[in-house]
Amino acid sequence: MVVKGRVWRFGDDIDTDQIYPGKYLPLTDKHEMAHHAMEGADRGDEFIRKVKQDDIIVAGRNFGCGSSREHAAVAIKGSGVSLVIAQSFARIFRRNAVNIGLPILELNTVDTIKNGDLLQVDVATGEVTNISQDKVYRAAPVSRLEMEIIKAGGLLQYLKQIKRNEV
Amino acid sequence: MTIIEKIFGRHAGKQVEPGDYIWTDLNLVTMRDFGGPNVIMEYLENFGEHPVFDKNRVAITFDLHIPARTEQVAQNQKILREFALRQGLRLFDVNTGVGQHIILENGLVKPWDIVVGTDSHMNLLGAVGAAGFGMGTTDIAGALYRGRLWFRVPQTIKVVINGALQRWVTAKDVILLVLKHLKTDGALNKAVEFAGTAMSTMTLAERITIASMVTEMSGDIGFIEPNLNVSQFIKSRVGQDVEAIAADPDAHYEKEYEFSIDGLTPQIACPHLPDKVKSVEDVAGKEVDQVFIGSCTNGRFDDLALAGQILRGKKIAPGMRLIIVPATTEVARQALKAGLYDIFLSSGAVITNPGCALCTTGHAGILAPREVMVSTSNRNFIGKLGKGAHVYLASPATAAATALTGKITDPREVSHGC
Repeated sequence: MVVKGRVWRFGDDIDTDQIYPGKYLPLTDKHEMAHHAMEGADRGDEFIRKVKQDDIIVAGRNFGCGSSREHAAVAIKGSGVSLVIAQSFARIFRRNAVNIGLPILELNTVDTIKNGDLLQVDVATGEVTNISQDKVYRAAPVSRLEMEIIKAGGLLQYLKQIKRNEV
Repeated sequence: MTIIEKIFGRHAGKQVEPGDYIWTDLNLVTMRDFGGPNVIMEYLENFGEHPVFDKNRVAITFDLHIPARTEQVAQNQKILREFALRQGLRLFDVNTGVGQHIILENGLVKPWDIVVGTDSHMNLLGAVGAAGFGMGTTDIAGALYRGRLWFRVPQTIKVVINGALQRWVTAKDVILLVLKHLKTDGALNKAVEFAGTAMSTMTLAERITIASMVTEMSGDIGFIEPNLNVSQFIKSRVGQDVEAIAADPDAHYEKEYEFSIDGLTPQIACPHLPDKVKSVEDVAGKEVDQVFIGSCTNGRFDDLALAGQILRGKKIAPGMRLIIVPATTEVARQALKAGLYDIFLSSGAVITNPGCALCTTGHAGILAPREVMVSTSNRNFIGKLGKGAHVYLASPATAAATALTGKITDPREVSHGC
């Protein structure tokens, strides 16, 4: 699975209220939810107006901390973002992202990646090519099990595809 | 092997190591009135009226907004009741109490089990040697359909607690001490095992208090090896012998911490994080508007009885609101029988129906801006109980003492003659 897109750079400890403000929790329409992705973060307004299909979010430590709201991952995926790279993820966000089919990668050297850089990423191997800076980084590869779920489009799609005795 | 490695290994049918990704079967899938309706909507959208994996291994519990206080909540609860009826599922309605406590009391959980649910404090089941995990709605919808889920086997850290507690110092003070040192991310993505001389004799209620607050350290689960009393409680509820569970002597721990609780004084977590812990002595005298005694962390009979010892024959301070909420109806009946309702009502307390109560703004008793509450719950995040309100976390003893004086009070100060 290879994705290519422009970087939206965010900092450390981006919590679920920054990713998807609590006031929008009553929304159930996924397209409506997508319009509020990253709204509470710095430069959230710009993100909402300008985010394009296949763009990539790059953040620091503990991305997705805070509440267990699945809306956060759903909104990011709905906004067109193809991948989230962070130095580390909060447990529940990581699980939710995989379960809804949003690819994620953990990369120690996110610091050198700049806003607007063009990245090409092989999600399965963790190879991150920064085309703008002519650099290659190695992210921890996503586990085979998580990759299968992401490829299926999420946990429920995956469970529908496989038979009871296969997992 | 550590306890989590043993449980995951048995359920996955192979030896596992930290970092492994596995699929396992599930002994029980639960959902509550919060999160549960979204689970059902997601289930129906994907699987229609397909029967759940095993209707005897599903439990729906109502504990947050009970009874319904808005039309939206009423509608959500209706979704769950109707689904339970169509699928023949067990549903514990608004008259029962906190979900994790309800499934323990009803014999639906035993050591070695894996239980998932839509409650972030599902991991308090580690108090009886079961692996409980709080999860999102997609996970629970998938679990309902297949009865299996994926897990990443976590590293385990060991927290050894030695010594003996002084009178009026409790398990809550112990876990606040641990939080003070490990901080809110001290167990991130990890399992925790509590051991040591202080742990082995702790009651089920005390173990629940400790295990429940592993969530506040970002841990996956906190285990305490069951002692004879705990095993007997589970045996009496499950109706069958209980298999022992313990880590191997040569188990590998990523890190070990040791605490001595000899001489520990009552502790309190200050606004707005559960790891901003100080000695009660250091913040004594701070004026308080409301006290809450209850929650999944401190809502057992023992917790209420301790508060009762301090409140007996006394009145709460003028202007103070004291709200007491038993975790379950079983606890409420025990409290009634023991005369605690009389003590509480005579002291000036409000007693509401069993449930999660003042853990969120969903319950009666939320605060006005700048009001201060001392709570026996587990979280004091900003805004969680009312915009601009200040919440301190403490033991039932400290909470009761504070209700009497209207100021944060060390229970040892007011307990003379108790």
